[in-house]
Amino acid sequence: MDNAAIEVRELVKKFGEITAVNGVSFEVREGEFFGFLGPNGAGKTTLIRMLNTLLKPTSGKAAVAGFDVVKEPDEVRRAIGVVPQAMTSDLDLTAYENMDIYGRFYSIPARERKERIARLLEIVGLAERGNDLVATYSGGMRRRLEIVKALVHRPQILFLDEPTQGLDPQSRRTVWELLKGFEEEEKLTIFLSTHYMEEAEELCGRVGIIDYGKIIAMDSPEKLKGELPERDTVLLELPDPAEEMVRALKEFDFVLDVKRENDTLTLSVKNGAHVTPLILSRILEFGKTVTSVNIKERSLEDVFIYYTGRSIREEEARKVSRFIGAGVPSKLVQR
Amino acid sequence: MRLLAVIKRDLLKFRRNPVIMFLSLVLPIVYLIILGNSFQGKLKGLPVAVVDLDGGPAARDLARRLRAIESGPGTFELIFMKDQEAAIRGIREGALKGAVIIPPDFTRRSLARRRAEAGLFLDNTDAISASTIRETMRRAFEAIEIEYYPVREERARKYLRDIDLYRRIDYGQSLVPGVVIMAIFLGTLTTGAFNLVMDRFLGIEESYLLTPLTKGDIVTGLIASGVIITTITTLMVFILSILITGIPLWGGVPQFMLLLFIILLTTLGLLSMMFLLLGRVSHPRIVGLLTGFLNVIFFFPSGAVYPIESFPRWLKAFAKVNPEAYAVHAFKSVLFKNAGVGAVWGDMAFLLAFTGIMMTAGILAFKRTL
Repeated sequence: MDNAAIEVRELVKKFGEITAVNGVSFEVREGEFFGFLGPNGAGKTTLIRMLNTLLKPTSGKAAVAGFDVVKEPDEVRRAIGVVPQAMTSDLDLTAYENMDIYGRFYSIPARERKERIARLLEIVGLAERGNDLVATYSGGMRRRLEIVKALVHRPQILFLDEPTQGLDPQSRRTVWELLKGFEEEEKLTIFLSTHYMEEAEELCGRVGIIDYGKIIAMDSPEKLKGELPERDTVLLELPDPAEEMVRALKEFDFVLDVKRENDTLTLSVKNGAHVTPLILSRILEFGKTVTSVNIKERSLEDVFIYYTGRSIREEEARKVSRFIGAGVPSKLVQR
Repeated sequence: MRLLAVIKRDLLKFRRNPVIMFLSLVLPIVYLIILGNSFQGKLKGLPVAVVDLDGGPAARDLARRLRAIESGPGTFELIFMKDQEAAIRGIREGALKGAVIIPPDFTRRSLARRRAEAGLFLDNTDAISASTIRETMRRAFEAIEIEYYPVREERARKYLRDIDLYRRIDYGQSLVPGVVIMAIFLGTLTTGAFNLVMDRFLGIEESYLLTPLTKGDIVTGLIASGVIITTITTLMVFILSILITGIPLWGGVPQFMLLLFIILLTTLGLLSMMFLLLGRVSHPRIVGLLTGFLNVIFFFPSGAVYPIESFPRWLKAFAKVNPEAYAVHAFKSVLFKNAGVGAVWGDMAFLLAFTGIMMTAGILAFKRTL
């Protein structure tokens, strides 16, 4: 592919007996916002670190911005900006100093560096705090600084490893808005890893789902969800649902299953948004009033469950302990 | 520019930590004052019992001489006792370090020119105190003997007159080279490679491994900032030591510049060595554990506290490859003897070669990936 920003072929990384990344192949096109979704310990960080030249692959090939990550690491480093999962800014320095030194690492001329830093700090709302020590920043501010620090040298490709890990919902949304803005303004290719389904859905044009070091599905969030069997979940709350009413609901063609638990009915239905009014009408016929309706549409979590039989959240703690317990250095396993 | 950026980052971080700056200045001086006094201080006030069972003139003369030592150098604190059993029990119980028992026939045998013996009981589990008491007692007894020699025999005695080649160095001044080397050692341990260990521990290292910085940029940059910080703090420690002890720099600016060069070269050598030793360490606790060990193996066999000539053969062999030994020798030569480059070029050549080897090995051993 001519316009592939990232090209990965059969990439493998082993730590002793553990295979963290197991024969992964994919491509990311220039200008694409690509996301890797998977539970912690699935191999996302290891994969990103191989693409960023921080880890050497056990086998396979990977090219970033057209450069081989093993043979041409310097060229790769010049082409990428990376926001690691950990906060890496120096707390003893100001935001401006952090960015200035980072810019010097890339030999950016002084005037250009100064203008670029001022502009980036302005965009992320840190201009007024730019000369304050990073130690005085909140978690959200530090994360914003991490992002603009990675953009000082105008990289072609921006890697973000769990960029909103540990942030409150408001800060998370701020980061999302910033990333969308930078994608547009800087004409960036963005490669993001996350275990937040909503983050991948909100930001990524294409998503790869990774589990146990293997890609199990890859496409746009809509297409991935579209591949699932057509089934939505409708949750209804009503006082004392009668047995004959449950039987009546099951007679609908579009109702696949009904479960009753106390005052809650959980219905598996086809095309939930459209058929819910019909369900509510039938319930009214039994003289019952529904107090709460919740239609749960298909999400990437459902995609993960569909392919693996497990939820992402259930997997997280178990996988991290499996890796560390197997002797993989804890600093290489991101939580 | 990249190299300068590494240096700038490190210097800025150091400047923002006034506690580290303060400790860098004070610790070497305090350390050496305590250490130096623990090792080199003369023993005073050792409790020694005197049991005079004789009471004759020779015994009284001996007691008088011991009193003179007590009130002069103060090596002993004499306790006159009548019961020799009690004196020996006092030693066993730790109340006394020794006891001189003068037997009843001491004066009689002395006057009869027969062998007169007094007993010296020592707590020989404390080797240093025992050795000091033994030596001081021996001199006191010799002094008694001299008085019984005829005057004409004095001419036959051989005298040795000592002549100092250099101005006298008092004890405080003699510690200054050690203070300076200690300041360098502590400086090199808390800058350079240590900053890399801290960055690695805090997860900050990852951010600059992702940039185009080369191994050489990272290693030489951190060493350079370490040299600047350590040299400045060591220089301040040195100037402070001069002011406290009053050592004159009678060689003027050339002498001072040569001393500065020795400090610079030693700092560079030790920082390079630290990079080789600590370049792959990922937890500051390991540095903490190594600190004491490295200090012992490099500082004590350096000649800063005790002359290398007193070491056993194997330790002398180690001193031959110990950079601090060369640094101490060069610094002492220039500071106390106002020696020129010609007298210390061998030390400098060793330090230069050592730096070259350590820096090359440090860069080669440094891992550019996680």
